[in-house]
Parts: sequence; C-alpha cells; structure tokens
Amino acid sequence: MRVVIGEDEALLREGLVHLLEKAGIEVLGVAEDAPGLIELARAREPELVITDIRMPPGHTDDGLRAALEIRAQRPSTPIVILSQYVHRSYAVELLADDSAGVGYLLKQRVANGEVFCRDLRRVAHGGTVLDPEVVTVMLARARRDRDAIEQLTPRQAEVLALLAEGRSNAAIARRLVISEKAVVQHVSRIYDQLGLAPSEDDHRRVLAVARYLAR
Amino acid sequence: MPPLAQSVKRDTIAQKMPAIARRRRVTGGAFGTHGFPLALWQLAVAITVLGAVEFADGLQAQTGPWWVLLLFAAVGVEYGLAGILAWSRRPSNGIGALLCLGGLTLLGADLQNTGPPALVAAGLILGQAPIAVILHILLAFPSGRLRGRRDRALVLAGYLVTIAIEPPQYLFTHVSGPGGVLQVANQPDLIEIDRWIQRGLGAMIIVATAFVLASRLRRATPLQRRVLALLYSYGIAAILFLELAVNVLGPLFDWGPITVFVLQISALAGIPVAFVLGVFRGDFARTAEIDELGTWLGARDGARPALREALAQTLGDDSVELLFWLPERDRYVDAGGQAAELPEGRSGRAAVEIELGGSLVGAIAYDAVLIVEPELVRAAGRVIALALERERLTAELLASHDALLESRARIVEATDRERRRIARDLHDGLQAQLVLLAVKVGQIAPVPADAEVRAGLAELRAGLEGASDELRRLVQGVMPALLIERGLFAAAEDLVDRMPVPTRLHLTNLDGALPQSVESAGFFVIAEALTNAVKHSRANELAVSLERVDGRLMIEVRDDGVGGARVGGGTGLRGIADRVDVLGGRLLVESPPGEGTRLHAEVPCAS
Repeated sequence: MRVVIGEDEALLREGLVHLLEKAGIEVLGVAEDAPGLIELARAREPELVITDIRMPPGHTDDGLRAALEIRAQRPSTPIVILSQYVHRSYAVELLADDSAGVGYLLKQRVANGEVFCRDLRRVAHGGTVLDPEVVTVMLARARRDRDAIEQLTPRQAEVLALLAEGRSNAAIARRLVISEKAVVQHVSRIYDQLGLAPSEDDHRRVLAVARYLAR
Repeated sequence: MPPLAQSVKRDTIAQKMPAIARRRRVTGGAFGTHGFPLALWQLAVAITVLGAVEFADGLQAQTGPWWVLLLFAAVGVEYGLAGILAWSRRPSNGIGALLCLGGLTLLGADLQNTGPPALVAAGLILGQAPIAVILHILLAFPSGRLRGRRDRALVLAGYLVTIAIEPPQYLFTHVSGPGGVLQVANQPDLIEIDRWIQRGLGAMIIVATAFVLASRLRRATPLQRRVLALLYSYGIAAILFLELAVNVLGPLFDWGPITVFVLQISALAGIPVAFVLGVFRGDFARTAEIDELGTWLGARDGARPALREALAQTLGDDSVELLFWLPERDRYVDAGGQAAELPEGRSGRAAVEIELGGSLVGAIAYDAVLIVEPELVRAAGRVIALALERERLTAELLASHDALLESRARIVEATDRERRRIARDLHDGLQAQLVLLAVKVGQIAPVPADAEVRAGLAELRAGLEGASDELRRLVQGVMPALLIERGLFAAAEDLVDRMPVPTRLHLTNLDGALPQSVESAGFFVIAEALTNAVKHSRANELAVSLERVDGRLMIEVRDDGVGGARVGGGTGLRGIADRVDVLGGRLLVESPPGEGTRLHAEVPCAS
C-alpha cells in the first residue's frame, strides 16, 4: 500500500513514517502543511492520504480541508484524518462525501500500531473507520432524537457502535465474545429496526450505519 | 420712506426714547435686572399708542387714504411688538431691541404724515433711517451684536448714508407746504447730485454687506445655513426693493405712488416675523437669567434639572456643552466621563474655561454664532463654578470607572490569549510527545517474549494512553480545540453533543465571524451554565439557543429543573455575570423555585 502523510510536528511525522514502513506500508512522501499535502497527493497519486487535522498555515482545520480538496480533485481517494480531538461535526462532514474510504481517528490511536495499520488498510479498501469516541457521541445524540435507536437492546446497541466504528463481523464477534453467526443476526435485526436497506458489502453496510448516525 | 403727505400732532416719542435707550444698554451689557418685563409692557403700550396717535392724526389731517395711513403705522407697531416679544423671550439676544429700534424709526418716518411742522420735520430727517436699521439687524443676526470693526463700520456707514447724507433732499426740495417745512432753497440739481451720491454709497454698503453675510454663510453649520441663507437673502432683497420699487420697477410696470408704497411696506412687514422666528429657532423656551441660575443651584437635588439644561436655557443656546477638567489626566472629559476636546477656532463654536479658587474646573462650549460675547458665558460660568466642580467629580468618577472597565476587559482578553497559547503549546508539544512515546512503546512490544516484560509494556502503554486522555481533557478545559478551529457555534454544538442530559441547540443568524473575546466569553457562559444546570437543577432536558440580533449576541440556556438559582448563590453564576459584564453585556437569570431556570445573556458583538 502506498500512502502520503501530512503532519507538521516533525517527531510525530518521523515516528509515523517509521511505524508504517515497519508494517510494510510504503510512504511516498510527507508534507508539513496543507498546500504541500495537496501538491504531494496530486504528484504521487497515493492509495491513501493520512493527515493531521490541525496544520499550517491556518493551524485550524486546514488538514481536513486539504483532504476534502484532494478528494474533490481525485474522487474516492481514501483519507484518514488524525486529530487530538474528535468532533461529531467533522465526522458528519467527512461522511457527507458520497464516496467511501474515510477514516477519522484520535491521534493517540497511532500508539496501537497493529490496530492502526489494520484500520488504514480497511480505509484504503473503501471501508469506514470512526474513532470509538466520536461514535459514542453520535450514538448518544441519535438515541436522544430517534426512537428506533432507543428501542434497541443493550447488546444490539453495542453491535451498532462497533459497526459504526468500522469493525468487521469477525472483529465484533471477537470483541463481544459471541459467535459470528450471532453478530450477523444482530446486524440484520438492527438493519430492520433502523429501516436501512440490506447490503452484502461489508463496507457499504458500515457506511450506511455511520451515515444514519451522523444524520 | 416717501412722505405720503403732511399734518399735525403731539410728542410722546421724545420722552420715551431715553428710557428705552437706557434699558437697552443694561440688557446689552450682560443681563437685565428683575422688573424687566414691566418695562417691556410699558414700551409695548407706548409704541402701540404712538402708532395709534400717528394714525389718528394722519386721518384728521387727511394726509393720505385712511388704509395707507393705517398700514404705515401698523407696520411700525408690528416691528415694535415683534421686537418686544423676542426681547422678553431672549433677554440676552439683541435682535429684539434692534427690532424695537426699527419700529421706532418707522414710526419716526411716519411722522411725515402727521400735521405739526416740527413732527413732519422729524419725520423727514428719519425718512430713510429704517433702511439702516434693517441693515443693522442683518449684520447683527442672530446674536443681536455686531462682530468686529468691519461690521460696526458698515452699520455706521448705513446710518450716515441714510441720515447724514439725506439733508439736501429736504433742504433743497421743490415741495412747498408742510412737506417743505425744512426747505432753505429750491435746488433740484443739488437734490439730484445728492441722490446719486446716496445711491452710490448705498450700493457699496449693500455689496459689502452681502459679501460679509456670504462669508458668514460659508462658515455656518448646515443647519444654521438654511435659516441664515433665508433671512439674509430676504433682508438684502427687501433693502434693494425699497429703492428699486421707486426708480426702476415703478416706472417699468407703471405703478402709482400708492402701489409703490404698499409694495414697499409689505416687503418691510415680513422682516420682523422672519427675524423673530430666526431668533427663536427651534427653541421657544423662555431664557432664564443669571439670577435664576442661582435659584436653581439652591433647589433640592431631585427637583433640579441637569446643570447643562439650566445653562442652555440661561444662555439661549441649546448646543451648550459642559466639559470637565481632570488635572491628573491633563485633559477634558464630557459629562459621561468620555475624553473631550475644546472646540477648534474655525468650527463656529467657542469655549470659556471656568476656574474655582484659582484652579481650572471645566469649560463651557457654546455656539459662537449665537453668542458673540464670551463675557456673557464667563459670567454664567462664575455662577455655576461650584456646581460644575461637583459635576466634575461625578465625571471624574465615571471616567475612572470606564478606565477600570477597560483594564478589566484587557485583563480578560490577555487571559484568553494566554489560554489559547497554553492550549496550542500543550497540543503541539506535550500531546505530540505522549503519542510518540506510545508509538515507541508499541514498537518494542513484540520483541521480548518475557510475559512479565510484555505485561509491563502493556501497562506502560495503557498509562500513556491514560495520560493522553487526561491531557486532552485538560487542554479542552483551557481552550476547546473546536472553538479555535471552527468558532463559537461549532464549539457549542460539540458541547451539546457531549452533554449527559438531553440538550437541544438552536442556532439562528450566524453569518460572519465574531470577535475572539465574544467567542471565548460566549463559550464560557454556555459551558458554565450547562455545567450548573447538570450539577444543581436535576433537569430532564436542557436547551441552548444562540442568536445574533442587531450587533448583539443573545445566549439563552434553559432547563426544566428545580429552579431557585441566583447570581452570587455560589453556583457559578457569579463567574458568568462577570464575563458578560466585562464585555459590556447584560445577564438575566429567571429561576422561580420549581419552574426551571432561564439564563439570558446579551453581549455586543459588532466586530
């Protein structure tokens, strides 16, 4: 897998490059600011763009805007946004984009290199990965506003949260210590309850749930 | 004025004139004394009687059609009464006195139409004098006093041309009978030469006057200009018409002497009305006198209007301003404590400084067009000096209060700036380092096979993650990232998202950026109010609304809890009130027991 990285903090940038290369991910280039990242992505055509949200020159959400710009220029370029904080509003913006392949994670998730690299690969293949923290916020809000979610059983709610984070059936089964078959059953009940169209595609299924919650 | 005919009658004027002149001097100097209105009554009655007597005598002597005689006398009386009206309402303004003088000269000219030769002679001598008085009024308007040597010279020239160059007209007249009472020889040539000298000099005076008035118009404020332009042009036109009606317009339109006279007297009749209205311009309040200022000062606090209003009434100038001197700041402030300057030389305003016990306490700024003599203002200033000193102390207090508010705002602003800096430093430095450390720990993890080491590393990683979370919360508390990145409305949304109690958010009219200080304060207010509600109100539902209305940010936080919250009740409302207060906003807390709490804050946010 070939990626480009946008990160203004030098030590963290090097740490990230080191981590990815050790995991067998090819880093095509790094950028220290938003315009540099856009230029880099245009020149190297990566399979995935990883960027910090707060970057020069504005030091606000420049990284996010650069990522959206890259997607506008080259649709369906997968992007993973890293941030010190996660907010529902940013997730909503990312998911509003029509194409799949979006990740939004707390920066500190980088520490668990194994899980982090697996998440990167999921996004690169068109999956959706949301940080548990932002999913919690989205779920809490959705629960308040929509009866359908209120009526889910606690176990179904747990499955829904993991689904929205972007976990596969197998991963959910491992986490909850239940069988994969049970997960499939829960997922189909959740789909009925929320009135979502059933889908065989793992990625699309997750995206539908995430978008439902972000609504 | 052309003599209508001739006749006889009594005196009375000569006796009245000295009294009037004396009265004029008294009021002209500074202010009149008490009993002044009685003298005005007497003057009004005297002028009316004089007019009536002249009319009656003219009728008896049959010097002209009755209505023409009535018109002449009536216009004279009109000048007198209009002048007295202005005089009584505006004792400090000389226009009233000048109009009275105009009335008397008109009635004097009207003596030509009476019977007794002595009076007819007096009438002949004063025949042209009303024109000089009108010129005088024009140049003295609106204060009633002449400004500078040029004005005085013009007015003096006016009187000379109308009175001193007039004699050949009646000395060498061809008219016999009563109209020729002063005739010494019949010399038409001399009359003609004199007439041309009079016209030439008259024209020069009029042109010079027009020039002076035009330059005065240029210097006037737009508001003054409208009134002045109207009066000046009317005055000049009336003077020109008096001469042109006889020698140019009369022959041109074939007007008879009666028509010419009626037109002339009509043009003159409008002048008192126009000028009295000009003097009263905008304000018909009776002007008080300096003595009354003293009475006002003695009145009890609650009963007396503001010092400025009393002064404005006394001076007859509504634009009067009081400035207070702050010695330690070496500058003037206005009544609100705001910094102020003395008027500039060419602004049409002037100021006199007021001292008390040898030290400067303040200044009175006034309309220099309306009030020509600074002495008048200075006299008023001496009377109010003590009161001015008292108001000065109030203004000083207000000014230092403002300074305090400003410094408080600066401190809050500096704190916010510092918070932003700390948040950024923690974010860029410590947080990044913690993540990096965790990455490093993660990388060494797979190598050792030892279970104890692995457990230790896992613990280390969990510890670093915990430290990261803790630091994130800390930075979030110092200055929320979303507030820096996306502003108040996004930050409010995020805040509401994370509330443990269902919270509705309503955002309206959010276009345009808010000043940073308002964003920080707004966030603080919402966060603090929500925290309060969750902690103390036992509410089931909260609601936040943010709206921008006419340059003000309206923040409302409501809950359906137990109520009973109050500012200073130790519930954090004090902090909210302070934050709002610093920005010049206001806070309203409604919290009846058992009926929930509604907190409404308004902050000015025009950026």
